[in-house]
Amino acid sequence: MIRRYVWRRLFQLVPTCAGILIVGFVLIHLAPGDPVLALAGDSGDAEYYAFMRDKFGLDEPLPVQFVSYAANVVQGDLGVSFVQGRSAAAAIGERLPATLLLTGTALALSTVLGLLVGVVGGARRGKASDVALNGLTLGLYAAPVFWLGQLAILFFALRLGWFPVQGMTTAREQYTGWAAVADVAHHLALPALVLASQQLAAVSRLTRSGVSAELESDHVRTARAKGVGESTVLVRHALRRPLLPVVTVIGGRIGHLVAGTVVIETVFGWPGIGRLLVTSMQARDIPIILGIFLFVSLAVVVANLITDLTYAWLDPRIRFA
Amino acid sequence: MRRQFWFVLVALAVFAAACGDDDDSEGADEGTTSSSEPAPEETTGGTLVAAISSDPGALNPAVTTSGSTHTASELMFNGLVELDASGEPTPELAESWEIEEDGALYRFTLVDGVEWHDGTPFTSADVKFSFEEVLLQFHSRTSASVGNAIESIETPDDLTVEFRFAEPYAPLLQQLNVTEAPIIPKHIYEGSDPQENPANLEPVGTGPFEFVSYTPDSEIRLKKNENYFKDDLPILDEVVLRIIPEDANALAALEDGEVDFIFGAPGPELERLRNSDDLDFLETSVNPGGSNCIMTVSFNLEKAVFGDVRTRRAIGHALDRDQFLERVAFGEGKVAEAPISSNIPFGHADDIDLPDFDVEEAASLLDEAGWVRDGDGVRTAQGVDGVEDGTQLAFDFLSFPRFQSYGELFKAQLAEVGADVTLRPLETPVFVETVFTERDFDTNVISFCNGPDPEIGVKRMYITSNIQPIPFSNSSAYSNEDVDRLFVEALTTVDTDARAEVYRQIQEQLAEDLPYLWLVETQATRVFTAACEGFSESGHFAETASCNR
Repeated sequence: MIRRYVWRRLFQLVPTCAGILIVGFVLIHLAPGDPVLALAGDSGDAEYYAFMRDKFGLDEPLPVQFVSYAANVVQGDLGVSFVQGRSAAAAIGERLPATLLLTGTALALSTVLGLLVGVVGGARRGKASDVALNGLTLGLYAAPVFWLGQLAILFFALRLGWFPVQGMTTAREQYTGWAAVADVAHHLALPALVLASQQLAAVSRLTRSGVSAELESDHVRTARAKGVGESTVLVRHALRRPLLPVVTVIGGRIGHLVAGTVVIETVFGWPGIGRLLVTSMQARDIPIILGIFLFVSLAVVVANLITDLTYAWLDPRIRFA
Repeated sequence: MRRQFWFVLVALAVFAAACGDDDDSEGADEGTTSSSEPAPEETTGGTLVAAISSDPGALNPAVTTSGSTHTASELMFNGLVELDASGEPTPELAESWEIEEDGALYRFTLVDGVEWHDGTPFTSADVKFSFEEVLLQFHSRTSASVGNAIESIETPDDLTVEFRFAEPYAPLLQQLNVTEAPIIPKHIYEGSDPQENPANLEPVGTGPFEFVSYTPDSEIRLKKNENYFKDDLPILDEVVLRIIPEDANALAALEDGEVDFIFGAPGPELERLRNSDDLDFLETSVNPGGSNCIMTVSFNLEKAVFGDVRTRRAIGHALDRDQFLERVAFGEGKVAEAPISSNIPFGHADDIDLPDFDVEEAASLLDEAGWVRDGDGVRTAQGVDGVEDGTQLAFDFLSFPRFQSYGELFKAQLAEVGADVTLRPLETPVFVETVFTERDFDTNVISFCNGPDPEIGVKRMYITSNIQPIPFSNSSAYSNEDVDRLFVEALTTVDTDARAEVYRQIQEQLAEDLPYLWLVETQATRVFTAACEGFSESGHFAETASCNR
């Protein structure tokens, strides 16, 4: 049953991708800004720009450009970056590990810390610690990510000197082995925390309200009456039901997380696909922009699929239709 | 269910760790591929970490005029000549040159014994190849100037190159530095598309520093070229060009000691930085986008509202350029006194009569031109050619977002004389299309970089043949036969004094016609840690630098 469901969902990826491709292609060509004018140098003459337009294939009619692009994509070829003069897939691929590291860490941090904060808040509803945590998460949820990023740099990196200001590695030293791992982790901490902050707030607020409602319920009262320890009550009885919507929220927010990396990677100088997207947008480097669109859309679709599967697995009442 | 919950948590943790491993191994790889040599115990020059603002994408300066590529790659290449601080050509790959046939033949003698970073000898064939196959096709400025004038490039022997022109060609020497004409290796690029050659990511040059590694959007690592053809140079052992897109972060990284050198600090911060004992400064007119730049307002002369020179002159009188310098450029630079930058000494005419700040004169010129004002309101047309009576003196002003403060002051100062300005900040590709293709604007501001010679960065703004979709060319759509003719004359006049006289006539005519208003000659301030010294203005900024900690 599950296998059929998964196959069907995977099959649905095909029209989704086709749609993404068409919408992305049309959008990027509708946007003002001629790539040749953006990419080719200044002070050329008319001949020079005609030569460049021809070279990039931009003198073809739009439908022709689309058909040849789509045909290439089907064969796994995202085209050649205008700016970099090499495969767009390679350019995106080499920045992917940095983005996966950042988003993966942020996802893990926000889930673990979010659940923790939510459970503590739910268990201590109305007490000082709950009010403080509640205020903090509300603030994190409301604050724009770029502003949090700047504040974090000012305070934790510049004032306290705990973390580096930017980048993924130390420029002055070239570490190897575990020292390199530690160096990357040191650079990762601040951007990952900032990126995680909003998701953390979303998870913890949902967990908190769920847990506090559950603690009032009959089965928790029964468990307590039976003499079950408070921590067991919390984790085993009160967290069970709230976990379901939390999983949905985590899955649903993966798109937000990826969008957040665009900002965070720029603010912290993190060399991932978010920054590549920004610079490619500025230069109208269409093959790279479309490649990233495609990749991010796929990631979100797959994340949703995983969420749905996890959801059904967590709650046996849900069956695959 | 409880077990399932913990499983989810563990799975997430493993996922994060797996991602971490991915990248950690990448980090380790970097360490191994970048440099296998142990760091020397005693360093003479040390390591310089310089912040650059954008990822170059590729490192071949011969196929593009992109500022980010040039900033990131020029240290690895050379031109035939270098330009000194006053713009005079000095020997580089060419140790000497002769100009014959009144400037129609340039013969260069190359330095003997120069090697490419891979050990292959550098010869005149590399020069010929670089020009014919790459620069004259892909380098927009060089292809549009040298490319239209050159007749042939000959190589009588390995150390001699001759450039032959149909007519005398004056600006050549100014167009042969590493920015305008970097020389790339024939043995690596021959037979390939120079824009897609893999060497664009692992360049081989003759320059003071050799390529070590390039981590996109992160850093470019270079090491000293031990066989550099200039004696005792470079001094630094290593240069790391660190890509930091946000100005504020680059500055923070400088103050934090993560980087040693930044190409420019935001104006408002400079004063604070100048009080620091740990920092040093170098003022320069060389920006990553070009040198000798003038912030220039274009009038769209295809619009009837700007058809009368009195209106344009009135707007010139309404602008207090000192305020633009002080409040917008934060004092970095000087008020523009002529259409050609004062940093091109032979081209700049120093007694040109540009409209000075005089609000009353502005008002009376607008009255004369038929723009009448009732009280403090916006002026309306009465008998202006091509403009319906009663039309308000209202127009838009386009700029890149980073130049919007120029627009704000422009708007405020013009409001004083009864003109209503609407600001339209547009990002670069949209700006270029709107201004140069669609011509959908009234006024705009552009940082026009004059470059080392008026032929490179000045002529493009004024010649009639550039009234077409060419980025950063004749934005105003100005056309004056005399000016066109004078630019041709300047191109073929090799004698510097005679050429200066031609440029002076051009500038007098421009000051009379006012197709543009020249506001401020901008400059940039390099800021670096006081532990380092010896920086220069050119693309080889670190060639003579050293750091001692």
